Amino acid sequence: MHLTLEFGGGLELLLKDSVKLHHVDVKPKSGEDNVTMRDLLTWVKGNLIKERPEMFIKGDSVRPGVLVLINDCDWELCGNLDAELEEKDVVVFISTLHGG
Amino acid sequence: MSKYWDAPNQLRFGPETTHSNSLLPANHNLQKQILLRSISDKVQISSTLLPFYLFQVPSNLMEGVEASERVKRTTARLCSLCNQRKAALRRPKTLEQICRECFYNVFEDEIHRVIVENNLFKPGERIAIGASGGKDSTVLAYVLSELNKRHNYGLDLFLLSIDEGITGYRDDSLETVKRNELQYGLPLKIVSYKELYGWTMDEIVKAIGLKNNCTFCGVFRRQALDRGAALIQADKIVTGHNADDIAETVLLNILRGDIARLSRCTSITTGEDGPIPRCKPFKYTYEKEIVMYAYFKKLDYFSTECIYSPNAYRGFAREFIKDLERIRPRAILDMIRSGEDFRISTTTRMPEQGTCQRCGYISSQKLCKACVLLEGLNRGLPKLGIGRKKGGSGEDQEQSKRHLENKGLSLHGKHGNVEY
Amino acid sequence: MAVCGSACGSNCVPKDTEGVEGERLKRLSLEEESSVRRCTKCGEEEARKECNGLCAGCFRAYLYGKFKLAVTSNAMISPTDKVLVAFSGGPSSRVALEFIHEMQSKALACWDASNSQALPVFTVGVVFIEECAISNELSDQADVAIAQIRSIVSGLSPPSKDLHIVPIESLFSSDLRKLVGSINDATGQEDFVRHLRMVSLQRVAFEFGYSKLVLGLSASAIARHVICATVKGQGYSLPADVQYVDTRWKAPVVLPIRDCLEQELVTLCNLESLKHVQVLDRPCASINGLVSSFIVRLREDNPSREHTILRTAGKLKPFNFNKLSSNQYEHVPSRLRPKFQFIENGEPNSPEVLCPICASPLTATELASTRCAQQMKGLDIKEMEAFFWSCCQSCHFQILPKEETYMSCEGFFDLLPKPMVKRSLLRDEIKDYLLDDS
Repeated sequence: MHLTLEFGGGLELLLKDSVKLHHVDVKPKSGEDNVTMRDLLTWVKGNLIKERPEMFIKGDSVRPGVLVLINDCDWELCGNLDAELEEKDVVVFISTLHGG
Repeated sequence: MSKYWDAPNQLRFGPETTHSNSLLPANHNLQKQILLRSISDKVQISSTLLPFYLFQVPSNLMEGVEASERVKRTTARLCSLCNQRKAALRRPKTLEQICRECFYNVFEDEIHRVIVENNLFKPGERIAIGASGGKDSTVLAYVLSELNKRHNYGLDLFLLSIDEGITGYRDDSLETVKRNELQYGLPLKIVSYKELYGWTMDEIVKAIGLKNNCTFCGVFRRQALDRGAALIQADKIVTGHNADDIAETVLLNILRGDIARLSRCTSITTGEDGPIPRCKPFKYTYEKEIVMYAYFKKLDYFSTECIYSPNAYRGFAREFIKDLERIRPRAILDMIRSGEDFRISTTTRMPEQGTCQRCGYISSQKLCKACVLLEGLNRGLPKLGIGRKKGGSGEDQEQSKRHLENKGLSLHGKHGNVEY
Repeated sequence: MAVCGSACGSNCVPKDTEGVEGERLKRLSLEEESSVRRCTKCGEEEARKECNGLCAGCFRAYLYGKFKLAVTSNAMISPTDKVLVAFSGGPSSRVALEFIHEMQSKALACWDASNSQALPVFTVGVVFIEECAISNELSDQADVAIAQIRSIVSGLSPPSKDLHIVPIESLFSSDLRKLVGSINDATGQEDFVRHLRMVSLQRVAFEFGYSKLVLGLSASAIARHVICATVKGQGYSLPADVQYVDTRWKAPVVLPIRDCLEQELVTLCNLESLKHVQVLDRPCASINGLVSSFIVRLREDNPSREHTILRTAGKLKPFNFNKLSSNQYEHVPSRLRPKFQFIENGEPNSPEVLCPICASPLTATELASTRCAQQMKGLDIKEMEAFFWSCCQSCHFQILPKEETYMSCEGFFDLLPKPMVKRSLLRDEIKDYLLDDS
């Protein structure tokens, strides 16, 4: 499944070369048809985050204070971790914890 | 004075907000109407005077979408305000799901209301916007310049930035502020530590090391803002402190036992007895909404932590508040309300205000803190002024703060938040 | 010893006289060679790490000293009192019980020795509220706990103490489980149960004629409460709950171990093998749970943090009901009475209006809102409406029904225990209140 991921608000610093935009291909877990946000977070943690993963993940969700938008819609309206992703979705992660 | 939880506020703004906290299906709305009628049947209660409890958000929405819903994303939900466009976010303050356009409206309207109800400005005033290039001050500059035009505040707005002289941090964020100058058409004044004090932060860190440098920076920044504002003859300074910041400050002051700061940290305007008052138009604005606003409006802001306090935002307090917000978003406003309501005895000794003998800045001591620190730097005794404070009350907080700093587990909030 | 008020940190040890001090230091320097550390106070016994460098004996004396200071300087217990100790089974209330017992034994010894025997000795009872009916505790677990509590209380040396084991549902006629279950907010549920417990304790105190209620709230518990109340928007009423004395209730509530940290109390229980009941771990999905874990982190970072929080709260202005009035001592012989009296300060005794659920004094804003609604309804106001309108904002949010239908509000109201309902401003009072106001 092709997804576009964007990291902002300082989260990009946790990634390799501080790149904000990532076009990625995430496969559903074996035996499942869909990729949920829960799966995506695991994938991001394992494949993109280069340092201080605790700044991004806490428990099984994003760290409180990190906003998530799926196709520019607050993930709190989409079911949070249970939101199912679709082909070509754009997922944006923004930290509110940096600077001001 | 009306406050954020008052029902009248929620109702005053146009007919569409009458159902503003209804996130329920239509028939539930009806039930609510019936309830309102049944309670107010005999006496015709004007809707603006109903008690607050009738306007609370149903708590089944509290627990979040997770449990209750398995709604497919494709069946997009509609904005609870306009009922036309697709909802784009959930407001932490009210838990409404609203679309972008309605979000812009309520966001800006609320700030306008805070400004009007608290008489923050008078026509003709020159207002310095403390601009760091970060999200809060960028959104503040944008919204203020919009509201100034829209509602004819008649204000002269300026961007005021402090150049601490931190290579790779402040010079980058200053570039953002310079772009803001062009984007919003607001004149920009930059004052630097170097010109004010003869030292850049880089030089200070070289002289004193990484320990305690935040003390210098904080003390210097506070004065620098005042001096910069004086240079452009500003009547007021506005800062981008948001509701989350203020809740955090309330908490920190409790943890430090600093009753004097606790009593004033929730005031929307401070320093009215000083040369230039400061105010916080974002006092009731959630950080989440500020960031969402900046994101949706594609505002240009800079977000990197200061290189000299790389983990400041890891503070326990900040994390606690974010955890809290997840369980109960309302808690942030509740903490501010607690801060406003604390019964602080008038007999509590507040430090007396005088002026610094050297530079004339307000100070409770003979010399202001900045002059003491500066003297230490210039005499090659940088530890001067960092240690024990004179006059008991502040001592303990300084100590406990140092204790934490020494362990690298700063209780500080984000950069610069602690000074009020 | 008098210098060790609430403000002092846990390391504060009363200073001995200089001679003794010098002696002690000499001994300490000698000790350094041998690896045994001596108590920093008496210099005799072996110091224990968990006792702030004191020996077991001095540690106990230090905690008992804090307790005694709190009791005497606030005149918590008078000789004619009948004191009811609320015993949850946990270490804090266990120590409170132990210390009250010790104080009683000492007073009794004095009484026996005294010629005049003018001062009677206070009596002590113990109460345990059994909450199976509204919690998820299993009844056999509760039975074990109750058996342990019985053996603890009966194991205390004479004079014997009455033990009241009271199932919470026996005190109220309504279906408590349904009532608690109808509260949606997890934090609201927890807090409501706490309020119910207080009403229950007061009922027991009233029925058996007790004049004081002792709660084993430690400094740590109060520090948690300070943060919880702040987070729930109860900044105004907060100082009411953190004082040594609280006379909002029929039987005034006193907190004699308010200055002892929880960990110190646990240590004491371990040292003296004071048996205490394993308090069941409740799930912590609530704000209260979050605050507890936050405080634990702060404590690990700085052990005196809880004291600092307590000190901050101590600087907030208490309410008029946070002291005992002199007439509570009228049966004490007149020559002894001044000892138990407070100097009345000149502040006008304006009674606070309390939230009927949590007993928090209402803020001016809350009162204005209540008043506004009541004025509009006038005397037509229904009992239920009056009740809802006189609750504080925090209870509105986390306890009262959110399903904004008349039905659910009435259903909730009908289930509420009568003592809570009675506390609300009823129609007649409202009328007086409105008249007063104009």
